[in-house]
Amino acid sequence: MRRLPLLAALAVAAAPLLAAGGYGLRLLTSAGIYALLAAGYQAIFGAAGALSLAQGAFFGLGAYVTGILGARYGLDGAATLVLSAAVPAALAAAVAAPVLRLESHYFALATLGIAQLLLLAAVNAEALTGGANGLPGVPGLRLFGLPVERGWPLMAAVWAVALGAAALVGRWSGGARAPVLALMREDPIAAASLGIDTGRLRFAAFLLAAAAAGLAGALHAHFLGVVSPEAIEFPVMVACLSMLVVGGRLSVAGAVLGALLLVQLPEWLRFIGPWYLAVYGAALLAAIVFAPEGIAGVAARLAHAPLPRLPPPAAPRAMPRETPAGPLLSLDGVTKRFGGITALDRVDLDIAAGELVGIIGPNGSGKTTLVNAISGIVAPDSGALTFRGVPLAGRAAHRIARLGVARGFQTPRLLDDAAALDNVALGAHGRGDAAALALYWLDRLGIGGLATRRCGDLPGGARRRVEIARALAVDPRLLLLDEPAAGLTPEEQDDLAMRLRLLNAEGLTILVVEHSVPFLKGLARRMVCLVEGRVVADGAPDAVTRDPVVIDAYLGRNWERRP
Amino acid sequence: MSALQLAADGLALGAAYALVAAGFVLALNASRAVNFAHGDTVMAGGFLSVALAGVLPVPGIALLPLVLGLMALFGVALAAVAYFPLRGRPPVAVFVSTIAAGIVLQNAATAWFGAAPRAGPPLVGGGAIELGFAVLPRQSAAMIAAAGLVYLGLRTLLTRTQTGRRLRAAAQDPGMAEALGIPVAAMTAISFAIAAALAGAAGLLLSNSFFVTPAEGGNFMLKAYIAAAIGGWGRLHGAALGALMIGVFETAVAAAFWQIWAEALLYTALLLILLFRPSGLFGEAAGTRA
Repeated sequence: MRRLPLLAALAVAAAPLLAAGGYGLRLLTSAGIYALLAAGYQAIFGAAGALSLAQGAFFGLGAYVTGILGARYGLDGAATLVLSAAVPAALAAAVAAPVLRLESHYFALATLGIAQLLLLAAVNAEALTGGANGLPGVPGLRLFGLPVERGWPLMAAVWAVALGAAALVGRWSGGARAPVLALMREDPIAAASLGIDTGRLRFAAFLLAAAAAGLAGALHAHFLGVVSPEAIEFPVMVACLSMLVVGGRLSVAGAVLGALLLVQLPEWLRFIGPWYLAVYGAALLAAIVFAPEGIAGVAARLAHAPLPRLPPPAAPRAMPRETPAGPLLSLDGVTKRFGGITALDRVDLDIAAGELVGIIGPNGSGKTTLVNAISGIVAPDSGALTFRGVPLAGRAAHRIARLGVARGFQTPRLLDDAAALDNVALGAHGRGDAAALALYWLDRLGIGGLATRRCGDLPGGARRRVEIARALAVDPRLLLLDEPAAGLTPEEQDDLAMRLRLLNAEGLTILVVEHSVPFLKGLARRMVCLVEGRVVADGAPDAVTRDPVVIDAYLGRNWERRP
Repeated sequence: MSALQLAADGLALGAAYALVAAGFVLALNASRAVNFAHGDTVMAGGFLSVALAGVLPVPGIALLPLVLGLMALFGVALAAVAYFPLRGRPPVAVFVSTIAAGIVLQNAATAWFGAAPRAGPPLVGGGAIELGFAVLPRQSAAMIAAAGLVYLGLRTLLTRTQTGRRLRAAAQDPGMAEALGIPVAAMTAISFAIAAALAGAAGLLLSNSFFVTPAEGGNFMLKAYIAAAIGGWGRLHGAALGALMIGVFETAVAAAFWQIWAEALLYTALLLILLFRPSGLFGEAAGTRA
């Protein structure tokens, strides 16, 4: 029943094509090819959230592979289809290493550069591609020697491939992976802090997208009977992007819907002649401004997602009480500079298993940088970090998280649109019943009752605790917290301190960066003070707060007399 | 072709690119989002010059103030349609909206003027300047002079006027600027206006010797981006310098080999810069901008 609005939209979009006879059949075939292209694009742009501008070029590359192998060498469709998907996927894999770690516009422009290079090659490598004239005489599709005639058989074959690919992409990006991808899209750093390998997910998405695009290009070449530079020029990319955004970029159904609708646009807009392409752009602009989730997104909203079902909470396996030979975490001469500012200056710090350490210091003293360096979000310029005897140098944040380091952020970084339970489950993803574990940790933080509430609607104190529950769901040995008491009422602070002490008593090592010295004094048994990136005091809280250097630099002379 | 003539042509192309790149960086700093319609704005400026020259039979240089003014208005309109409604949304939304605006521009230009290249007005008339020891193409010399003048105007605006100081403050730290009573939204709109005016001026300068075609926007966009990447992300003068280098490089490679090698090498260079120095060859002006 939930899919009813979406299915209705698909039927309405497809109806005019089915009713329009021979011309409708051609458009329907074309729609199937674009549905395949856009479904693949949904993996990289929709699910993984990376704006690739090479999808159109991968389409053209697939078309040229089929054109060259089919028209020149007469290879069977079974071989050319596979190769047309494999060549763009191989190119995507080859450029992935430098390109995929780029964020945001860097990625968009790098893929645009690749697209421009492919276009230049297609137009200028005349011996291979036929240059501006292209390759005429691409034979109709033959599979294992059997011809797939243009018309109904080709249309059916195209849609079979398109729906198969859409199902594959939908399977890859759906289910338990959907919230993981959502967090990766919105906040890759938070995702990495939970042990999610964002690089691998984007790689898979990029390859899926390229393979689908190549396959679509191959079918397009068979369908038209020619391959020309038009297949690789930017308008293909524009069409694909428009279809996905208008249809709804968060689901493959949106890709299919967008393709069905937008192939009909030239037909509907025939009366304005050459202006219809400008209307294409206007439709894309209107969609991104007024309905960024697209038609499929609106349909999904109409259908109301059901509330998550609550499983009985399940405790994690007991935390092993480690007695490692050396300290749990060890920093040795760690230095980090940002331009001319030295955020961490030769920091030496050992933390033993089972400790609860508070870090204080004035603003800009390097506290947050310290947490970022331990969790792998910034790489130190020099010095060594060791956790459980493993050197952390060169380790990506998600691998450090998997070693057993979890963290909270100064401002909680949650998925606002997801329920508290789903947010916490992200920490436990891939480890047994994530929802049951999540509920356990929400209970432990005293907010089990908020499990089904949307995170964006929760007050600051609750959001803070959801984030700590999520970090605990990672099953860490070391928990790093960055100003967890900020924005909490005194009662909430006491409650949080009590819960953290309990976790510590169960064997969890905790490091808390905090401005509120009273909060820390009631919590930590050891305090470290950072000033200008250097450790100036380290010891029992009472000793550190009486240290003249600490009073001078941070607490102020009137500290002791304050109420 | 003499080396001097070649250098003049290269610098002329680079000077026009410098205006494009400076506008790109200005809007980037103000909005913290890449404006993918910037290249199409150059193209729009070119066609505006073609259209104006059809109505007003004056040298191109006389059209410059008109092009600057009209394109500034266009920049405000672009910001109103494709940037302001999406503030506070992920940057990728602005990428898509500006790509969409670019598509509209490109296809409107095709519908209006046709897909074939059109020539804009020469800046001060054709021919060459005899220097005794060498001959300079008049159009190239005029392009360099006009671009230099516009750039100087931009510099003066940014460093010597109250508006310029507010523009820079708003770009550097919008929160702080807002707290100090600077109308940040208005400053962003002005930045878009200046960016489009600079792009339009470049369109006018390029329209004569390099023609105008509706589909060329993507190339300008990429070159502005490469210039910004070379010059250090967010650095105005760095980007202008990078653009000059691109113009000279392109002209030299095109003269020695073919135009397509110039472009192929440029795009390869872009990938290499992104691979090894994502913050630009001359370092990044501020923290990561998205």
